[in-house]
Amino acid sequence: MKALVIGAGEVGMNVARTLSTDGHNVTVVDRNPDRCDHIRDQIDALVVEGNGASPRFLRQIEAAKFDLLASVTAVDETNVIAALAGHQLGVKTTVARVRDPEFLDREDAFARGVLGIDFVIDPDRAAANDIAAALRLPGAVSVEYFGDGDLALAELIVTDSSPLVGKPLAIRERPHPAFIVGITRNGEAALTRPDTIPEPGDHLLVSSPRENIQQAVAHLAGTVREVRRCVIFGGGKIGIALARLLEESKVKVTVLEREPKRARVLAEKLPRSTVLLDEGVEEASLIAAGVNEADAFVACAGDDRVNLLAAMNGKRVGADLCMATVSREEFTPLVNALGLDVAFSPRLIAAEAIMRFVHTRSVKAVHLFQTGFEAMELEVRKGSAVEGLAIGETHGILKHCRVGAVLHEDGVSIPQHGTPISAGDRLLMLGPAGTLSEVEPAFAGKS
Amino acid sequence: MTRDFSFLVAPLVRLTVGGTVAASGLGMLVCAGVGFEDGDAGVEFTVCGLAAVALGFLLLSQAIGSRSAASTVRPATGFAAVTLSWMLVSAVGAVPFLLTGTFGSGLDAYFEAVSGFTTTGATLIPDIEAQPDAVLLWRSLTQWLGGVGIIVLVVAIAPVSGPGIQRAFYAESTGLPSDRLTPRIIDTAKIIATIYLSLSALAAVAYFVAGMNVFDAINHAMTTVATGGFSTKDLSLGYFDSTSIEAVAVVFMFLGGINFAFYWKAIRHKDARLQYREVRAYAIILLGLSAAVGASVALHDDISGVGRIVLESLFSVVTVLSSTGFTTEDFDDWNSFAKTLIFLATFVGACAGSTSGGIKVFRVVLLTKIFGQEITRQLKPATVQVLRAGPHVFRDSVRQAVLGFFLAYVLVYTLGTVVMAASGLDFLSAAGASASTLNLIGLGLGEIGATGDYEAMSALGKSASCVLMIAGRLEIFTVVALLAAVVDAFRNAMSHRVA
Repeated sequence: MKALVIGAGEVGMNVARTLSTDGHNVTVVDRNPDRCDHIRDQIDALVVEGNGASPRFLRQIEAAKFDLLASVTAVDETNVIAALAGHQLGVKTTVARVRDPEFLDREDAFARGVLGIDFVIDPDRAAANDIAAALRLPGAVSVEYFGDGDLALAELIVTDSSPLVGKPLAIRERPHPAFIVGITRNGEAALTRPDTIPEPGDHLLVSSPRENIQQAVAHLAGTVREVRRCVIFGGGKIGIALARLLEESKVKVTVLEREPKRARVLAEKLPRSTVLLDEGVEEASLIAAGVNEADAFVACAGDDRVNLLAAMNGKRVGADLCMATVSREEFTPLVNALGLDVAFSPRLIAAEAIMRFVHTRSVKAVHLFQTGFEAMELEVRKGSAVEGLAIGETHGILKHCRVGAVLHEDGVSIPQHGTPISAGDRLLMLGPAGTLSEVEPAFAGKS
Repeated sequence: MTRDFSFLVAPLVRLTVGGTVAASGLGMLVCAGVGFEDGDAGVEFTVCGLAAVALGFLLLSQAIGSRSAASTVRPATGFAAVTLSWMLVSAVGAVPFLLTGTFGSGLDAYFEAVSGFTTTGATLIPDIEAQPDAVLLWRSLTQWLGGVGIIVLVVAIAPVSGPGIQRAFYAESTGLPSDRLTPRIIDTAKIIATIYLSLSALAAVAYFVAGMNVFDAINHAMTTVATGGFSTKDLSLGYFDSTSIEAVAVVFMFLGGINFAFYWKAIRHKDARLQYREVRAYAIILLGLSAAVGASVALHDDISGVGRIVLESLFSVVTVLSSTGFTTEDFDDWNSFAKTLIFLATFVGACAGSTSGGIKVFRVVLLTKIFGQEITRQLKPATVQVLRAGPHVFRDSVRQAVLGFFLAYVLVYTLGTVVMAASGLDFLSAAGASASTLNLIGLGLGEIGATGDYEAMSALGKSASCVLMIAGRLEIFTVVALLAAVVDAFRNAMSHRVA
C-alpha cells in the first residue's frame, strides 16, 4: 500500500515508522528541512520537503496514486485542508488529526459527509480516554476493551498482599474468570507459563469478561483503592480532556498549570475541578496541591522530562498511583527505572490509530501497551489457516504469541485447552511487541 | 472628559425627554377620558395632557430635525438623557395632582409622581378612595409607564434608532448583556413592550375573573405587573379580602419580577440558560424565605389555618422581593424574626431586566459566589477561580462591577438613612424609609408603618425619598455618573474663567 504522511513531528514519525515496519511504501512530507533530514536517518521512507496542505504540491507529488493520506501535523486547519485536498484529488482513504474537538469532532458526520475526511484521529484525546479508563478500574494501571466492549484486557501491578506472590501461577485460586496472559518484570515483557512465580512490582496482563474484570483485578492485585481524588499535572490538551472525563465520574480533580492564561481557560472549562497556578515540580508544591493525599497523580504536561520528574516526586510524596505521559521513545525505559506505575504515550496511540486503517478486514482492533505487549483482535475467516485448530495447538502457525480470549456470538470466554476454533470467532491475540505482524495471514480466508 | 454643559441639552436628551413627556401626555389624555365619564377631573387632565403632548413634540421635533439624535454619543450624554427624562417626566406627571387639588404642595405632588414612575408605590394621599377615578388611573398609569422602563416604551415606538438610542436604552435597563434579543435595539424594545402589554392584559383578566370590577382590575393589573404597588383602595389589596385576588396578585407579582427577555427567549427556544438560572434562584429564594416566614408566623403570631399562613407568607415575601409593596395583612404586628426576613428581602429584589428594584437576584448570587471564592483564596492562594453561572463564564470585569455596585448600594443606603434621620424620623423609621425608597418597595417600618404612611415625613425626608427612588430605579450609577459629569463640567468652566 502507498501511504502519504503529512507532518514529521512525534506523531508523524511514529505513524510513518509503524507503516514502514509493516511493509508499506511510505512518503513523508514536512515543511521543515531539519525535520526532513532527521526523519531520513530514522525511517525507510521517501521524505519530501513541502507544504502538505497545498493542492498544487499534492498534485506535484501525484497524491492521486496514494491509498492512504494521513495528515498529522500539530495544526488542525492544515490537517483538515490537506485531507480535503487529498480526497478531492482521489486518495482512497484520508485521515486527519484534529486536536480541538470544538473544531471538528470525531463523531461529527460533517467530517465524512461534507468534507470527505474518512477518519478524524486525536491522539491527545485518545490518551486522555485511556488514562481515564485505567483510573476508573481500581487496581489497574491500564485497560483496553475489545469485542465491542465485552472483553477487558487490564494491566495491573502485583502488591505485597496479592494472593499470587511466591506461588507458581498453575496453583493459583480462580474465584473469577480471568486469564493472566503476560508478565513484565524489569521492563522485560514475556508470556506467562504455568511455572511463572509473580513477585511484588511485576506488571501482569489479564484478560477477563467485562463484567468480571473489576473483581478479577482487585483479587489479583491485592489491595486496591477506588480513585476519588486525582491531581493532574499540566493542563494541556490531555490534561483538560482527562479532567473532564474524571469530572463526569465524580472524581475530585485538581489541575496544576503554570501558565496564567491557560490556567484561566482551565478554570473556565472545568467547573467542578480545582485549578492551581503553580510550577509544581518540586515536592513542596506537590504537597501543597494535595498530591500526598491523592489516589492518583497524572503528569501530562508538554515536556516528557518534566512529566517524569513530577511523577517521580509524586511517588515520593506518597501518591498511590503515579502516571506520566511520555512521547519520546528514548525516555520509555526511565518509566520503570524511576519507579512510576505506568506511562501513556500519545505517540503509540497515534500509531495504533493508523494501524487500524492499514490492516485487512480480519483485524478488528489493535492496542499497544507501553509495557511492551501488543494486542490484536482478529476474526477467523472461512478457510483460514487457524480454522478448525484447537486452543493449545496453534504454536505451529502462531509463534511467540498466544490466544488471550475468545469472543463468540454469545459472549466472551477464557481460552481452554482443546476448544476448537471456528470461522466467525474473534480471537484476542497477545504477544511482546513485534510478534503480531505475522499472524494476520493465518486468519485471512482463502480467496 | 466633559468639557461643558452642552451634553445636558444634546439632541439625544431632547429626544428621550420629549418622547417620555409626550408619552405621559398621551397617558393623561386617557385619564381625561375616564374623568369625563366619571364627571370629575376631565378638564384638568385634558389641559395637562395637551400641554405635555405639545411640549413633548416640540422637543422631539428639534431632536429629530438634528441628524445626530441617534448617532454615537458619549456615555455622559446617555446618562443625562435617561436621568433627566425620569426627573422631568415626574415633574410633568406631578402637575395633574396639583390641578385636581389632590395635593397643595408641589413637593408632595412630585413625590407621588416619582413614586409612581419608579414603581415604588409610596403614597402621600391620606384618603385614596376619595380621589376622582382619573387621578387613581393616572397613579396606576405612571407605574405602568415606568415599570418596564419609560424609555423602552418610547424606543419601541420611536421612528429613529441608532447607537445613541442604544446607550440610553442600556442606561435605563436593569438587564443582563445577553438580554439583547435582536440585532436592532428598537426591535428588542418592541418585543419587551409586547410581552409587558400581554402580561398586563392577562393580569387584568385574571383580577376581573377573581372578582374585581373592570376599573379596579385594570388599575391593579398595571401596578402588579409593573411591580409598583399603588392601589385604588386605602387598604391596598386587603380591601378585597379575597383569597383568589391575593393568589392572582402573588402570581403576577412573581411574573413581573422575572426578566422580560427570558419570556421571549423561552417562547422562541433561544438559549436562555443564564436567565433561567436567575429565575430558578429567584424562585428558590422566594420559597425559602416564605417557608421561614410562614413557620415563624405560625408559631408566634395570631394567624390560623394552613392555607392562610401559606398564602400570607408567600404574599408578604413576593411583595417585597418583586418590590411591589401591596399589603393585605399589617405585618407590623408579626414577630420580629419574620419582619427582619421581610426587611432584608427588600434588598434582594427580583431578576435583572424585570420591573423590580433592589440589588437583583443575579448580583446577590454572584456576591455569595465571590464570598465563597475569597474563602477559597485564603485557604489555597494558588487557586485560579472564575465567576460562573453553570456553563456561563463571566469576565473578571463583572466581578469588579458587581462588587462596585454593592458598595455603591450600601453607601447610598447608609447616606439615605442618615439624611432620613436628620429629617426627623427615628432610627427604625429612617432605616426603613431609606430601604423602602431605594429598593422601590413603598412600605415602611416604625412611624411610617407597614402600610406606608409617608405623610409623616418632613420636606427633607420627601426630597431625599425622591432622590433615592430615582437612584434605585436607575441602579445608582446612571445617576451618580451624570452627577460626576456635571461636576466635571462645572470645574472645567471655572478653570476657563480663571484662565
